[in-house]
Amino acid sequence: MLPVIAWNLISLEILITLTLVSLVILDILLPKGTKNDWLGFASFTALLGLIVFWTTQQSVTGITFSGMFVSDSLSWFFKGFFLITMIFIFVMTQQFFKFLGERRNEFYLLLWLSLLGMCLIASSADFLLLFISIEILTISLYVMTAYLRSDKLSIEAGMKYLILGALSSGFFLYGISFLYGITHSTRFAAIQMFTATHSISPLMLFAMVLIFAAVGFKIVAVPFHMWVPDVYQGAPTPVTALLSVGSKAAGFIILIRLFFGIFGPWHAEWSILLAVLSAITMCYGNLVAMFQTNIKRLLGYSSISHAGYLLMGAAAGSMIGASAMNFYLLGYLFTNLAAFLVIILFSIAVKSDDIADYAGLARRSGILAGTLLIALISLAGLPPLAGFFGKFALLMAIIESGFIWLALIAGINIVISLYYYLMIVKKIYVDTPNSTSLIAVSLPMRLILILSMLAIIGIGICQGPFLDAAIASVKGMYLLHF
Amino acid sequence: MIGLGHYLALSAIVFSVGVFGIITSRNVLKVLLSLELLLAASNISFVAFSRFNGDYTGQLIVFFVILVAAAEVAVGLAIIVLMYRRLNTIQADELKEMKW
Repeated sequence: MLPVIAWNLISLEILITLTLVSLVILDILLPKGTKNDWLGFASFTALLGLIVFWTTQQSVTGITFSGMFVSDSLSWFFKGFFLITMIFIFVMTQQFFKFLGERRNEFYLLLWLSLLGMCLIASSADFLLLFISIEILTISLYVMTAYLRSDKLSIEAGMKYLILGALSSGFFLYGISFLYGITHSTRFAAIQMFTATHSISPLMLFAMVLIFAAVGFKIVAVPFHMWVPDVYQGAPTPVTALLSVGSKAAGFIILIRLFFGIFGPWHAEWSILLAVLSAITMCYGNLVAMFQTNIKRLLGYSSISHAGYLLMGAAAGSMIGASAMNFYLLGYLFTNLAAFLVIILFSIAVKSDDIADYAGLARRSGILAGTLLIALISLAGLPPLAGFFGKFALLMAIIESGFIWLALIAGINIVISLYYYLMIVKKIYVDTPNSTSLIAVSLPMRLILILSMLAIIGIGICQGPFLDAAIASVKGMYLLHF
Repeated sequence: MIGLGHYLALSAIVFSVGVFGIITSRNVLKVLLSLELLLAASNISFVAFSRFNGDYTGQLIVFFVILVAAAEVAVGLAIIVLMYRRLNTIQADELKEMKW
C-alpha cells in the first residue's frame, strides 16, 4: 500500500516551486534586452502573496512523506523569517543590479531556488532530505557568490566558498553515514528513540562532531569560519546579506532540530562543548573586527561574533535558550538587513565599501546615516533596541543553566564590540566628509529604510508579542526534548 | 572473509586521501577531485552499512549523493573556467586578493 501524503503540509514549498517554474517560463517569453525589471516585479508580487498565504498556515501541522517532512511551529516561524528576509533581498537586488541589464533575471531565479532550499531545511525531519535541501541552498549560493564574473574578488570569493562549503558537506555526509550505521535509520524520530535509550559511544560522538561541522559552517562558528571574511567582502552585497541572515538562520534551525531534538537526551555531553565554542567564537569575531577597514568584512567578523552570542542559547540547552535564540534572530534580521541596505545604497552612489569613505555621511544623507546608526547600536546591544533584549534573553538563559563564566565572557565581548561599532558611528557623525556631494535616496528606498528602523525599535520597545512568538515556535516543535 | 570493518576502513582511507588532497593541492582542479573523494567515501560506508544492517535506505541515499556531487562539480568547474579567464591561472594560491 502506498503511504498517504498530506499535500497541504507542503503547500508553501509547492507554491515556491510553481513560482520558480513560472518565472523561468516568463524569462523565456520576455523579449531580450528589455530595460524594465519585469522578473523583479513579478518576484516581489509573488513573494507578498506567499507571505499572505504563510499567515494562514500557522495551524497546519503534522508529519508526512513517511516522517521525512515535518510542518510544526518551528518550521512555520522560520519560513516566515525566510520570506521576510527575501523581501529585503529582492529590494536590494533590484537596486544592486540596476546597471547589470540582462544577467539579472537568472539571479532572481537563483534567489527563489535558495528560498526553496531554506524552507525545506526548516521542514526536514530526515537526514536525506536535510542533506539535499542544504545542498539546494548552498549550490545556489555558490553561483550567486561568483556572479560578478568580471570582478576578481567575486570569483575568488566564489572559489573559496565552494571549496570550504563542499568540504563541510563532505564531513556532514560522512557523519550521517555513521549515524545511519549505528541507528539503522536516517529519520529523526527513529534516531531520537535510539539516543533516548542509549548512552553516547565514541563512534556516535565522532558522527556528531562531523555533523556539527556542517552546522558550524552555516552558522559561522569558529573552527569553520575561514570563508566568512573573504566571501562577505567579495560576494555581491545582496548575497552577503542573504548569507549573513538567511543562510545563518538556516544553520540555526538545523542546530535547534538536532541538538534540542534528536541529540537532546545527550545534553550533558554536548552543552559544555558548545559553551566553549561559543566563547571562542565571540572572542575571535570581536577581536579581529576591530582592525577592519572594509565595512562588509567588518560585518563578516561581526557576524562571527553574533554566532558566538547565539550559540550561548544552544549551550544553555533549555527551552528558554532556544526561544532566546529565535528572538535574537528576529531582531538580527531587521538590524543586519537594514545595515546591508545602507551599504548597498552607499556603494551604488560612492562605489566604495571602505569605512574611511563613510566619514561625514550624516552631512551627505541624513536617512542613510540614521539607519546605519540605529542598526549599529542595535548590533552592539544598546537599549532600547532589538539587539539589547536579544542579548538580555540569551544571557538570562545561559545564567539559568549555570554557565556564569560564559555570561561574563559575553559581557566583556559586548563591551569590546561597542568600540568598533561606535567608531563607525563617530566617523559618520563627527568626522569631516571627503566630498560634500549629497547622496540621493529614492522614495521607496526611504520607506523601506524607515520601516526597518521602526522594526528594530519596535522589537526593542514592545518585545512581548515577539518573545511570545519565539517561545511558541519552540514549544510546538516536533521531537522537542526539553 | 571481508566484513563491515574492511569496508569502513576503505572508506576511511578514501576520506583521508580526500582531506589530504584538499589541504595540500595547489591546483584547483585537484581540490575539486579531492572533494569528490569525500562524497565517494561516504557512499562506500553508506552501502556497506546498508548491506550489513539489512535495509535499503543507505543504497537509496547513494543515488541522491551522486546527483548532488554532479551538481557540485558542474558549478565548481564553471567557477574554475571563470577563474582561468579572469586570472589566467588555476593555482589556488593565486587567490590572495583578500587577506585579513
